[in-house]
Amino acid sequence: MNKFLRLIDDLLAFLLVFTLLLLLVPVCLQIFSRYTDFIPRYMWTEEMSRFFFIWLIMLGATIGVREKMHFDVDFLPKLSERTNRALLFLWGIEFTQFGWNQTSELADMPMWWIFIAWPISGFLWIVFLLHHMFSASDGDESANQESVV
Amino acid sequence: MTSALFSPGMAALILFGGFFFLLAIRVPVAFALGLASLPVLVLEPRLSPMVLFNETFKTYNSFILLAVPFFLLTANLMNAGGITDRMMRLSRALVGHFPGGLAQINVLLSVFFAGISGSASADAAGQGKLFIEAQVKEGYDLSFSIAVTAVSAVLAVIIPPSILMVVWGGVISTSIGAMYLAGIVPGLLLGLAQMATVHAYAVRRNYPVYPRADFAELVKSAGVAIPALMTPLIIVGGILLGWFTATESAAAAVLYAALLSLFFYREMGFKQFIAAVLDSGKLSAVALFCVGTASVFGWLLAYYQIPKALLSNVQTWGMGVIGVGLFIAAAFLVVGCFLDAIPAIIIVGTTLQPLAQSVGMHPVHFAIVGILALAFGLVTPPYGMCLMIACAVAKVPLRFALKDTMIMVVPMLFVLLGVIVFPEIALFLPRLFSPEMIN
Repeated sequence: MNKFLRLIDDLLAFLLVFTLLLLLVPVCLQIFSRYTDFIPRYMWTEEMSRFFFIWLIMLGATIGVREKMHFDVDFLPKLSERTNRALLFLWGIEFTQFGWNQTSELADMPMWWIFIAWPISGFLWIVFLLHHMFSASDGDESANQESVV
Repeated sequence: MTSALFSPGMAALILFGGFFFLLAIRVPVAFALGLASLPVLVLEPRLSPMVLFNETFKTYNSFILLAVPFFLLTANLMNAGGITDRMMRLSRALVGHFPGGLAQINVLLSVFFAGISGSASADAAGQGKLFIEAQVKEGYDLSFSIAVTAVSAVLAVIIPPSILMVVWGGVISTSIGAMYLAGIVPGLLLGLAQMATVHAYAVRRNYPVYPRADFAELVKSAGVAIPALMTPLIIVGGILLGWFTATESAAAAVLYAALLSLFFYREMGFKQFIAAVLDSGKLSAVALFCVGTASVFGWLLAYYQIPKALLSNVQTWGMGVIGVGLFIAAAFLVVGCFLDAIPAIIIVGTTLQPLAQSVGMHPVHFAIVGILALAFGLVTPPYGMCLMIACAVAKVPLRFALKDTMIMVVPMLFVLLGVIVFPEIALFLPRLFSPEMIN
């Protein structure tokens, strides 16, 4: 199981780097095409960059769940390990419903190659949360939290 | 809205009640915002959980927010590429001979760094490692060193480029170019206020001084740092001259930073490059994910017209621009203590916008007051990201540096007050350079 999860980690990290670098291509093309004659003014650049952007966010948010990077607020006392796990489980159930709803209503949409990002990340969130729940508690949960601001 | 199942009061109770409950059980903010929206979405007959998907999709499908990962990548590339060291040398030549030389360098380097990066945490983390230990070694108090590092880091979100301004422009549709220009003077004033505080500390506590750098060293250090210091000019100038949009300017900055650190300064290898990309991708995605769920929450508040209900009371007070400015600053100061700045903009900023509009407050002025007030939230407990990072670097609990931080914040509050009372402090630069952006 752990080996499998690590494989997913590596895949996600690779895809994230790949998407972010790929994102630069259409945006830069957009600039250069404005000032040079030999690069045609593509119409697809903005659409394509938004497509990769959405994937970037969903992939990154998934890695965030895995590495406990999402911020929680720390001003309340810590709950006992047991209550924490019970609540996380309830939370997981809500997630499943959320993901299920999306998948079922998405089936006949033509832009599925964008929309599929939501159920995929929803599924991975649940997998990672379950893994956190049943693996030994590893110290301070907020150690990985950083802010972009 | 008579056909809605919930009254505004009831809906507000469910939404905020759910949100705070989820926060209390340590659900991360981003997920708490989304999950708190679920009960209302399920129960209200006219809505469905698909709103959650629709609104997040609409938010992420934005060309403006694309600038966030790019600006973060620029900062990380500059950090990894040895650019910080070059700017440190210049800062030392410029202010090293002032009382409390090293602490003054700390502030000035933050000003330079702010012009390259839009991320205060990147600044706090980078300079925490650089300065805190060094300052203590030279005889500065530890709590003072932490406070200076944390407080000067917030300049990054006020001096352009700024990730907060990009998010603000994305969700409240204000011209990013105009906000960039409007942030310059308040940001520099904050820097001066901090240097004055450091000066007062240094004289009283007799902190050490470096010998004055000679002219040759000044010219040499400026020569090495200039290519890096060109970055803000490229970003802001390029937008103003119409060369590119805010997002395109961020992409251009990435290319420039990559070229500089790979070919000019040559301190970064391929491995560090990939690490910087991965790190920027993760951090910006986590922050932007929260933009999406916060938008759903904000959308629901607007659906039940909760902001209107909240503000109808405030509007009867008959405040003028200054009164409303103070009210907005107070709201952001309080919210900023508890929430990360990005969800605060989306929820509180959009809520207060009609109020600012109703008294004729200029949108750019509104944005700068809001962002300045939120910047304080980065160093105020319990959730002051920059202070937390600086304390983590020094391996002390947050309350250790609290007193000195609060002392350093007081002069900055006067700057905030000044910007509220005299809007021209912020507005005169954009009026001068790009009158068309501001009307």
